[in-house]
Amino acid sequence: MNYLSEMLKLPVIDVAGEKLGVVNDLGIATGEVFPHVTSLAFQGPGKTPFMISWRKYVDHIDDTGVYLKATATDVRFSYLQPDEVLLARDILNKQIVDTQGMKVVRVNDIKLSATGENQLRLLGAEVGMRGLLRAMHPALERLAMRIGKAVGKPLAEEIIAWSYMDLLERSTQQIKLSVSHKTLDELHPADIADIIEQLDPRLRGQVFAQLDTAQAAEALTELDDDDLVAEVIDGLSDRDASSMLALMDPDDAAALIEELDYEKAEKLLRIMGVNEEKAIRNLLGYEENTAGRIMTSEFVALPATSTVADAIDAIRELDEDFESVYYVYTTDAAGMLTGVLSLRTLIVATHDQRLVDLAYRDVVWVAPDLDQEDVAEEMTKYNLVAIPVCDDERHILGIVTVDDALDVIAEEHEEDLQIAGVGTGGEGAGESAHVLSWFAGRFYWVLVWAVASGIIAAALAWMGAPSELFVYPMCAMPVVLIAASRAVSFAKNYYLEDDEHDEDTRPYLAFWLQSTGVGIVLALVVYLSGQLVAGAAFPDDVLSQAGGSAVLGQQALAAAVLTRSFACAAGVVVLMCATSVGYLKLLDWRDRHDLDTSGTALSASAVIIACAIFSVVATLAVVLTVG
Amino acid sequence: MPRSFKPDIRRHEPAPRDPGRRRLTLAAVLGAMGPGLLAALAGNDAGGIATYSSAGAQFGYGTLWILPVMAVLLIVVQETAARCGCVTGKGFASLIREKYGVRKSSFAMMALLIANTAVTISEFAGLASGLALFGVPKTISIPLIALIIWLLTMSGSFRRIEKVLLLVSCVFLTYVVAAFMVGPDWGEVARATIAPHVESDPSYVSLLVATIGTTIAPWMIFLAQNNVVDKNANEDDLPLQRVDAVSGSVIACAIAWFIVIATGAVLFPAGIEVADAADAALALEPIVGPWSTILFAAGLVAASFLAACVLPGVTSSAICEAFGWERGADRTWEEAPAYRGIITGIILFSALLVILPGINLFDIMMSAQVINGVLLPVLLVFLVFIAGDKLIMGTHANGRVWNALTWATIVLVTVLTVVMFVLQALGF
Repeated sequence: MNYLSEMLKLPVIDVAGEKLGVVNDLGIATGEVFPHVTSLAFQGPGKTPFMISWRKYVDHIDDTGVYLKATATDVRFSYLQPDEVLLARDILNKQIVDTQGMKVVRVNDIKLSATGENQLRLLGAEVGMRGLLRAMHPALERLAMRIGKAVGKPLAEEIIAWSYMDLLERSTQQIKLSVSHKTLDELHPADIADIIEQLDPRLRGQVFAQLDTAQAAEALTELDDDDLVAEVIDGLSDRDASSMLALMDPDDAAALIEELDYEKAEKLLRIMGVNEEKAIRNLLGYEENTAGRIMTSEFVALPATSTVADAIDAIRELDEDFESVYYVYTTDAAGMLTGVLSLRTLIVATHDQRLVDLAYRDVVWVAPDLDQEDVAEEMTKYNLVAIPVCDDERHILGIVTVDDALDVIAEEHEEDLQIAGVGTGGEGAGESAHVLSWFAGRFYWVLVWAVASGIIAAALAWMGAPSELFVYPMCAMPVVLIAASRAVSFAKNYYLEDDEHDEDTRPYLAFWLQSTGVGIVLALVVYLSGQLVAGAAFPDDVLSQAGGSAVLGQQALAAAVLTRSFACAAGVVVLMCATSVGYLKLLDWRDRHDLDTSGTALSASAVIIACAIFSVVATLAVVLTVG
Repeated sequence: MPRSFKPDIRRHEPAPRDPGRRRLTLAAVLGAMGPGLLAALAGNDAGGIATYSSAGAQFGYGTLWILPVMAVLLIVVQETAARCGCVTGKGFASLIREKYGVRKSSFAMMALLIANTAVTISEFAGLASGLALFGVPKTISIPLIALIIWLLTMSGSFRRIEKVLLLVSCVFLTYVVAAFMVGPDWGEVARATIAPHVESDPSYVSLLVATIGTTIAPWMIFLAQNNVVDKNANEDDLPLQRVDAVSGSVIACAIAWFIVIATGAVLFPAGIEVADAADAALALEPIVGPWSTILFAAGLVAASFLAACVLPGVTSSAICEAFGWERGADRTWEEAPAYRGIITGIILFSALLVILPGINLFDIMMSAQVINGVLLPVLLVFLVFIAGDKLIMGTHANGRVWNALTWATIVLVTVLTVVMFVLQALGF
């Protein structure tokens, strides 16, 4: 007896051999790492539910049934204790959180283990394919295992131990879980955010209600999906939402508030404490994606004349939720930034030394309207964990810390990957499903080719030319499609690799000359290949006839159409290469307007445009050749 | 009797909200009617148009009486699904799995998968025949459209063009005008609507099953409940959800009623049997003249395209929900292989089947609705038991009337299905 699914519906038989009913459910005591089964629930005649103590009455169990120690008349019924959970009712088929794997899963079966003569313990929840198959029919599981073994991929059990489970539904959560239990609120906020993203809206609200405000605030800043954040905040009461925002770092709070609609944002800001409101409003005054927006106003700055002891006292007095302190900045009498000290310098120095003697004077700082990517670049260049943001008079407005800079870099990286046409998170190649999408992203032109060839055939028939001639443009078309997609890749790579220029300074003319030059060479190769094929396939006299303008014989017609198709292809290749500068311009334009660009969509549109142009030109060429 | 074994009735604390939002103001009612109207328009997809116009063309006003009945039953089903969503905050698939376990829910999911694949096939058939009216052969249109639909569903970005498609599919409202323009004998129409009328022709019975299957499609139950769950509506929103369900159902059935009248008045007397989309477009001729084909084709393409984008996602999402697999358009292939695999499979299978040479597209659209009708009772039985369960639904469990009406639907469809098969077996 290893699984709950096998135990359910077993007969319950008393010592006299009389059947009392069938097993319905098992109760466990929750206070252990591997909890004991403490009660047996069964269904008597007429669907009456009964519950008895496992320890007192159960003698032994086997495949044929559960055997009791006493006779039916001696059995005393019991009640579900507050620390007991019913396996089938509360856990089986329910969604639980796997706090180790950080996933939301559904319980397919429950694994038990017999310890001693008549004791059963709960090992964990089975959440994998095997549990699912077993619950459908045990024979299915055996079959799947045999197949798995045969193909060299044995089907493993996926068990989540009781101590790593967290029940999601509040109705069952009224039962106090054991102390050893790892629950959601002990996870890192970033992991909580991952789990929340997997839930239905109602459960999301319930999980949030379970967290304390500080944790909820942190989890909220870790959510990736902006719409989701707005939705969660909408679900909270204004007071809760406002205090949660106040707890966040002001720059994170500003980023969140921007996702809300104006009225809601104003309302939340108004009920917040004055200081927090001011800090957030200040940040909101700067444009999006600039240093001003991602900076925090929580930093330590002291007059240069202060002593080390003053500085350490100042740090000691800070609130617990103050942003991490990496550096102490010094200012002159007018409040101008003059120097910076690392914490290490402070700790090593003697207490009465003046900051002005210790500080590093050549401070790197940025203006609040600097683009966030440039801020991140500055920090990378000078190896800083925080960089001050100053106004024109070098008064410190705030600092940008390394966590925000890393976010910026990750965001940029993701955008670049998207433009390059590689999906995010899709780097792990080798999966069969992955191959499919990779194929779809690279070889969709085959489909375009087939469809366009069909259209050319239909168009030829419609224009009165022999439609079987469509095979010649069809031969040449792949060259055009691939060249178009390559031309876009060229522009994309140029865009991704050339970091130094932005839209205003980019050398478009140089790029155009370069790509057009490549295009002309490529076109020559294509044209000559066409000649090569024709020369090999047709005798010389037919070829010379094909060059003329007289009415052509069948073979000469074919030769003429073949060479002209390749000539058209060569022309379109030049055109596509020459226009690839347009895609570069488009990428720059979209970047300036902060629009995400999908590289696959870009090359797909280029391929389709090229295909359309080539189809039209080649069809006309064929029709003209036929006369 | 061990009382403690009785599970505690679940309590759902309503999220704190603006009290003003709960009042049934006119604005709130109009706002709530939105999703229902949209669903009603989207419900008149390729299969719907095919079924209703065949019904009108083949039997005149003979099937009109079923539509008011359908309106009532549709209201019952939609309201029940929305109520389940409001009370539990869970999708229909979750509820089936949690109440009935693995075995029965895999049965229900199988039914859903078959029914929805059939409908997706019919949507592809609708696309193919709509585009054929524009002169595009199906071997060209279907692979291209299938690829577009696949990309849109995979990225979840079809929502951006959803509104446009709905707007285009509104052209079917011209059937309403067409019905008035042809000037049918309204007295006769009224009689046919009120008085039930039965023929022992197997094609009549299968048309009835198809009409039920297309009006109360299984996917609508899932979609209605998912909409509510995604909005995180709770018990306080029930009145508005009811308004939504009623208005949507009535309008959906009213449009169907007008289609049957228009086709019944134009095609039936002329003896034209609807065998392809061009025939069905003929009913619009009195109002728009030569433009009828283009108008009809545009509407058919838009409606089918929309439904073909929605259906694979709804199906896959429900199956993954029941079995606890990750789902959602923002999950990658590695994270949610089942979700993406099922969508891809449905689209691929539907497209391939439609491309097969020598297949009558209009027949496909019709038979998909019959399959829908036959499988509907399976899912309705789950719905009625879940909605009647006091442990799940608390004080919002189904009342007697609602139970009786749902059971009536189940019995009606089952009886009609059996009659249909018997008639076919007897070789009428």
